[in-house]
Amino acid sequence: MAITGIASTTTPSQIHKLPLAAHIDAVKWLPPLSPLSKLFALALFDTDASAPSLQTFSFSDPSSPSSLSPPHSIWTPPSRISSLASFRQSPILAASTLSGSIHMLSAGPAGLELLHAVDDKGFHEGPILGIDVAESAAVVSVGEDGRVNLVNFGGGGGEGFRRVFDGEGLVGFNAVKWASPSEFVTGGYGFGLQWWDLRRPGGPASQFKGNWSQGKSSGLVHSIDVHPSRKHTCLAGGSSGTIFAWDLRWQQQPIVLSGVGTGEAAIPLLSESEVWEVQYDCYAKSSNSSARVLPAMFCSEDGILAMVEQGEEPIELLAEPCAINSFDIDQQNPSDVICSLEWESIAIVIRP
Amino acid sequence: MSVAVSGTGEKNGGALVPYSDEAKKPVVYSLGHGVRPPISRLAISWSRGNSLRVSVFREPSPSEDSGDECGGKVLEVRLGNGDGEVSDAQWRRIAYGSVSPFALLQSRRNSVSGLSKMSFNSSPYHVEWWEYVLEYSKDINSLLSNSQPPPPSLIDDPKAVLKKVEEPTCLKAAWELMEVFYADKLSQAWLPERLVDWLSDYDSLLSGTQVTVHSKLVDFQKDLISLQVIEDDPKYWEVMSSALAVGWLEIVVSSFRVLLRCVGFYISVVKLLRLHGSYQLDQLGNRETENGLVEAVAVLISKMPRMRPELETGKLGDCYKAKPDFIKAWEKWRTQITKLECSAFWVQCAHRQTRDGLRNMLQIMLGNTNCLCTATCHWIELYISHFLYIRPFTVGLESMNSLAQKCIQLKPMASSHRLMGLMIGILGENIEVVLAECSKGFGPWMVTHAIELLTAGSDQADILLHEEHHNLGEINMEELHRLVYAQVLSAHALTWQIAPIYLASCMKQGMGLLEILLYKQPVYHKQLLLKNIEICRLYELDSVSSRIMKIAGMYHWKHGRKGSGIFWLQQAQDEVRLNRIAQQMFDSVGKSISDESFRQWEGLIQLLGSESNMVGGLDFLHNAPYRYRDFKKSLMQIHDGKTTDTACQAVESLVSMAMDHAEFANTCVYSQYRRPTL
Repeated sequence: MAITGIASTTTPSQIHKLPLAAHIDAVKWLPPLSPLSKLFALALFDTDASAPSLQTFSFSDPSSPSSLSPPHSIWTPPSRISSLASFRQSPILAASTLSGSIHMLSAGPAGLELLHAVDDKGFHEGPILGIDVAESAAVVSVGEDGRVNLVNFGGGGGEGFRRVFDGEGLVGFNAVKWASPSEFVTGGYGFGLQWWDLRRPGGPASQFKGNWSQGKSSGLVHSIDVHPSRKHTCLAGGSSGTIFAWDLRWQQQPIVLSGVGTGEAAIPLLSESEVWEVQYDCYAKSSNSSARVLPAMFCSEDGILAMVEQGEEPIELLAEPCAINSFDIDQQNPSDVICSLEWESIAIVIRP
Repeated sequence: MSVAVSGTGEKNGGALVPYSDEAKKPVVYSLGHGVRPPISRLAISWSRGNSLRVSVFREPSPSEDSGDECGGKVLEVRLGNGDGEVSDAQWRRIAYGSVSPFALLQSRRNSVSGLSKMSFNSSPYHVEWWEYVLEYSKDINSLLSNSQPPPPSLIDDPKAVLKKVEEPTCLKAAWELMEVFYADKLSQAWLPERLVDWLSDYDSLLSGTQVTVHSKLVDFQKDLISLQVIEDDPKYWEVMSSALAVGWLEIVVSSFRVLLRCVGFYISVVKLLRLHGSYQLDQLGNRETENGLVEAVAVLISKMPRMRPELETGKLGDCYKAKPDFIKAWEKWRTQITKLECSAFWVQCAHRQTRDGLRNMLQIMLGNTNCLCTATCHWIELYISHFLYIRPFTVGLESMNSLAQKCIQLKPMASSHRLMGLMIGILGENIEVVLAECSKGFGPWMVTHAIELLTAGSDQADILLHEEHHNLGEINMEELHRLVYAQVLSAHALTWQIAPIYLASCMKQGMGLLEILLYKQPVYHKQLLLKNIEICRLYELDSVSSRIMKIAGMYHWKHGRKGSGIFWLQQAQDEVRLNRIAQQMFDSVGKSISDESFRQWEGLIQLLGSESNMVGGLDFLHNAPYRYRDFKKSLMQIHDGKTTDTACQAVESLVSMAMDHAEFANTCVYSQYRRPTL
């Protein structure tokens, strides 16, 4: 709706809002099928028909569209999709569902094709809340049941899964992100983060306790990102507008980019509610060379899509009257951001 | 099997808005439920929104082995809202879009009423209230146009752009009618011309139930291609008189326009006239007089004086803003018509159809009531023709209404249309009728949002709508309609979250209903739960929020997600339940020391105890190890067979730890794998 905070020297971002007649659960850019078009995947849920679907759309004409062209391809998952993951520019899409299954799809020119699926008994109890896919096509999944599972789709067969950890319901996870081929980070209740190393089984190799934010302001981590070039710093976003980074080398103290833990530091708070997603924003040039955390983008329940940087004023890209539930930065053209709005629409932001 | 579902209601007796007779006919639909007979029971209940839940049960048969035979099925039957014009998804889009304009108007109202009326009016920058309302009206109006979702097609059609043309909707037509009469104070001076424009945009909507000038034109357009000598066809003259009568001097009708724009031309009366054969070069010589007459009429039409500030480019007529100028021009124009009427050239015109047709058109322009009546198809068209050619100075609703009544008498309605009903209500200055027509014809969204226009446009409406009613539980009509609309929103999984905005604007009962709405939302979906808590935060409903967290905590606990359960109970600061949980865990520990539960349980505390050098200088954590030590001591005593007194102490130690520690459940569990032996 409003574009504010864009520096006066730059031209404003182009914003395209496209309505859909279904709730959007997740959104992800895909490698384009032709040089001039863009491709993205949407996990949709039609509440009237209780029908989930995964659809890919191509978006070619950025100048005018008031509505989307029909989907390029459609795939019907067994239940509602909770999370989508892809590895950089590979045309592979992993989808997890609320019924606790994972599906690996190829998203090439032929459309969405199911490659493998894991929905074994005992895989997950209840919904899978977070997945991430590594280059090797290994998918790590976490859920409210406290299980951390690993499925190696890269091995050809893709049969079976490996239980990395079972929290037996005493703990729950919301998000997971690979840091290296053998390490990943999870997050969940109480603003906690856990660093796992597959070479050291049994439990997390290292963990960050969320009690730096006191008492009642405890909350959940909804999203994690790890920068490929700085894997020692994990970025996390969660309740009460909190965005913080956890540097493995300075384990005890988080670097708070935004949120209640900010304390005396007078960083204006853009959002006070749930931060649904965070991603490092490689398009933003860091103005602060001494910053220990690279610039990041987040979206929130109160309708904000913005860039944050350590010690800097946040820059707002979108301020919507409804929640922005997820977003994705195009890895190939980092100026392009797609986000899903609560009110059954998506917004594509093309930064100058 | 078929189930009879009486379409629109069988309880006319207690209905607020009586249903019309035509809705009484029962409609029979078949439901394919797939359950093998014999069916023993059938249960029907309301489900979410407009759906019926039909449960079909099969007779249990003990004899046959019904391993894979299902014993029954539950079906959801969606009852259509009867309005095919606006799809469900489009309604939701309208609902989403109207939130911001509505909320903005409410906050402006609050800030305006916050200022004293005096200072507000005396401010040099003051904006009249109706200007805010007009802005609101325009915002809402923009939502109602062209938001048709793309047709489901798998092939990317390059010609699709042509099809994406705005279809007029009754909803938009009704909104614009309300805007013209109630919100737009600037257009009051040229209301008749606004109605001319309105009809030219929306006459096609009335074609559904009756013949209109628009439908006549559409029919004629089809014939036009095949006609050789156009002026010989009486339909040509008939259609032209009709279009002239309703003032479509230039562009014919919006959707007709659309139809024609695709093929690259449009039709106007003037253009139609110039299709006249006398313009053809080979005939020009011997049909000179005829051509001169046609041209003279065409010029007169295009010079018609209009009492309006401006005309869209491409439209014909001369605009006059001031009344005296207009009167002067109008008189002059009519004199010219009369002069042409009496001209001797008519005698020389040999082509009878042309002569009669043109003279009929002149009669229309001179305001001959009979000609107007013949040329128009229904009362609104006749009404508009009166404004154009007989009474262009009509001002005031009273005289407009008496004119409307006269037109209805001349052209009685064969069938009533919801737009006509609304117009009669507006002209009759009957707020109750307007509200009832809005409600009956366009539903709760329309009433709730149109009330803002009504109260801004009429003091009578303002009083009527803000008067509190005993029989409505001391609420006023405005609040009643907002509550009804909020109920509609609450009934859908995607729109319930905008209902709070409308509920919060209801002074008397809004907050109570908001609390109920929030309690009703399911807690098992994480995103929904957090949304719910966020709404509580926005409206400062802390007690509701903590109750919802308790519900969520218990839900997770019962489903074996102890960590999530304890997290939410802690967020809710529910000491009682946390105590109970501690007791329960303790009991299970007490039963068997080697039990699996103990392993987890022991792991829980181990972690708390091992972190004596915790971060952040948080005071409570210094106590944790000591408390843990107390607890462990008590545990040991139990194992030695001591009394339950110590057990209670142990529970207390645990609970104080649990209450202190912000993430009791989350972190505790990892240590179980690296647990030192007891």
